[in-house]
Amino acid sequence: MTSDSPVVLVVDDEIQIRRFLRAGFELDGFTVEEAENGNNAIRKATLSPPDLIIVDLGLPDMDGSEIVQRLRAWSGVPLIVLSVRSNEAEKVRLLQAGADDYVVKPFGMAELLARAHAALRRRVTTSAGEPIIKSGRLTIDFGARLVTIDGERVPLTPKEYRLLQVLAQHAGNVVTHQHLLKEVWGTPHVDDVHYLRIVVRKLRQKIEADATKPQILLTELGIGYRLATGAPETAGAAKQAADS
Amino acid sequence: MPNLTRLRAELPNIGWALVLVAAMTAVMLIVNQYVQPTNRSSIYLIPVLAAAARWGVIPAVAAAVASILASVFFFYEPVYSFKVPQTPQLVNLALFIVIALVTGRLTAVLREQADRARRRENEVRDLYAFSRRLGLARADEDIYAAIQEHLSSLIQRRSVLFESDSASPVDTGRPEERLVPEAVHSEVTKHLEGEATSDTGTIVKDNSNNVWLVRHVAPNTKEFGVIAIDLGDAASRELADVRGRVDGVMADAAATLDRMDVARVIDEARMRAETEVLREALIGSVSHELRTPLASILGSATVLCNAAPVTGDERLAALANVIRDEAERLNSDIQNLLDATRISSQSVKPLRQWYDLADLVNSALVRRDWRLADHVVAMDVANDLPLIYVDPVLMEQALVQIIDNAAKYSPAGSKILVTARREGNEIVLAVTDQGTGFTEEEREHLGERFFRGARHLSNTPGSGLGLWIAKAFVNACDGQVSATSRGAHRGATVSIHLPVADEAILQLERAADD
Repeated sequence: MTSDSPVVLVVDDEIQIRRFLRAGFELDGFTVEEAENGNNAIRKATLSPPDLIIVDLGLPDMDGSEIVQRLRAWSGVPLIVLSVRSNEAEKVRLLQAGADDYVVKPFGMAELLARAHAALRRRVTTSAGEPIIKSGRLTIDFGARLVTIDGERVPLTPKEYRLLQVLAQHAGNVVTHQHLLKEVWGTPHVDDVHYLRIVVRKLRQKIEADATKPQILLTELGIGYRLATGAPETAGAAKQAADS
Repeated sequence: MPNLTRLRAELPNIGWALVLVAAMTAVMLIVNQYVQPTNRSSIYLIPVLAAAARWGVIPAVAAAVASILASVFFFYEPVYSFKVPQTPQLVNLALFIVIALVTGRLTAVLREQADRARRRENEVRDLYAFSRRLGLARADEDIYAAIQEHLSSLIQRRSVLFESDSASPVDTGRPEERLVPEAVHSEVTKHLEGEATSDTGTIVKDNSNNVWLVRHVAPNTKEFGVIAIDLGDAASRELADVRGRVDGVMADAAATLDRMDVARVIDEARMRAETEVLREALIGSVSHELRTPLASILGSATVLCNAAPVTGDERLAALANVIRDEAERLNSDIQNLLDATRISSQSVKPLRQWYDLADLVNSALVRRDWRLADHVVAMDVANDLPLIYVDPVLMEQALVQIIDNAAKYSPAGSKILVTARREGNEIVLAVTDQGTGFTEEEREHLGERFFRGARHLSNTPGSGLGLWIAKAFVNACDGQVSATSRGAHRGATVSIHLPVADEAILQLERAADD
């Protein structure tokens, strides 16, 4: 491992899970640290801050939302939670508490890596204030408030542009319905999910090749939306971008 | 002093009888101005008869005496004086009293008969309703709720029933009626634990000086539970009466419960509930225990699948893919078990949201891409469909089941078509395959729990839960599932029908775009 490789802290009480996560992340160019419970995780994260934390929600000593809140209290480190299926409300709560994304157990390594890269990139984007975001054929130029498809300008209403902007700030990671509604329509409308559906549908008709088979603006059932990012890059490249 | 009490109870009626006589007198005085009826005193028969019929003997006698006095005072010389009652008036008086007594008695008998008939009718109706509820009751709580209602309608006082195996009151859906004073509750607990001293019940006084009777519903059959009955104010003279009546009612009720074999019904319901709980717990924990190692297996397999040494060797890559795909399959089987458990324990509670149908379809297709790898999947979703109001997780899972079935029962390389369109007041989402289809006979059993066509038992793995789960989840979102096939080996179409909420949608469209 070179000094350039990003450090991921894997927090899970199951040794088998840690084992394959270590292999998967190392093969992808990460340096892996492990913790088997919440207290250890917080200690390790404090002593030597990692670039990314993967945390399981079924830890023996700490509730999932507690560990997210305690980490978020002092650190903006990208954070991805591993949750079990069938608890949409819990996932939303964790995302609102500050987790960047979630992956449902059991999951494939490729899926987790994609989320991890997106979360790392978000840090790059926000720290560097990157003015241009790309997703497939779509380009969003924040400076010029310009959205183009294959170089061709797409006229958007203010609500559509704002929605795309919020999603682009978290490109590759899920953004909850509540967060989108609050950012685009304001706090009084956080429960009006139908507003979101209607504007998303119109937006898709403008930016997707086939609005019924979206490739850019993806749905996370029961949670929110995700702006797809291009082909996954390697961890080293992301780290270099972060350091530059 | 029962007679005095009775007389006091009659006072208002006597008052009304006198009012009647006074009214009659007033009418007569007015009539007297114009005509002079010959036998005026006989007109007073009207209030006497009316009082006898309406209020019984005592008010009628009072009316008779008042009538004679009024007629002597107003209508016989010397007018406006009670002087010199003559023989005709005395005869009249006697006659009136006899009529009052006879009519009053007759009325009383009639009324008593009518009352008894009505009470009898009520009892029969109660008993009928009670036995119907017992017949429908599945869990012991339902049975206790039925007993509670039956008893309170018989006793006609506030009463609270406690199940024989818990110290909490039977839930009838009206919690404010379930509260009993602390002293009463501790006496109930004593009875339930078999520490009570008396078989016929204990009297407990609460803080507000009310008296409660706490007793087993039936001294011989403890399964019926313990009942606490509010007998009323401790100072009341009627307390002994009430207690006697309640004891009588309870004896009858206990006999009825015994005759209807309620104890056995309760027992069976408890047994059923326990078996159910045990089975659900077993399935739940087995599924959880299976999932934990499965997460490691699937995760490890996906790491292997993409590792350079494996991808470089075709044979190893194939093996790694087998592990990954089979782990996925196992995972979806476990999910089915969990879903089935949720359905049979009736804990499916849809969280409905406005959704775009295309999102559900895409999500289901993505979740099943490993299973659909060998098929050609085409999707045709109309892009102007109204939003639907459903639980997205349930609907996605239902759709996944239907897609699974299509993939499972159609050959590799064949086409699976997913379409969604509007048909009148419905949105129809259909999955059509070119597979084994089903016969008319198989169609009748489709969607039954654990049903699998005999043709597939040996060559296609499955649990027979898929379509059953899909149906339950779609029904929970107010939709329907239907299936058609042109026969064996001629493909099948399974459709989800959802209602359209048109008006609502149009309003929403306007509001969203301001």
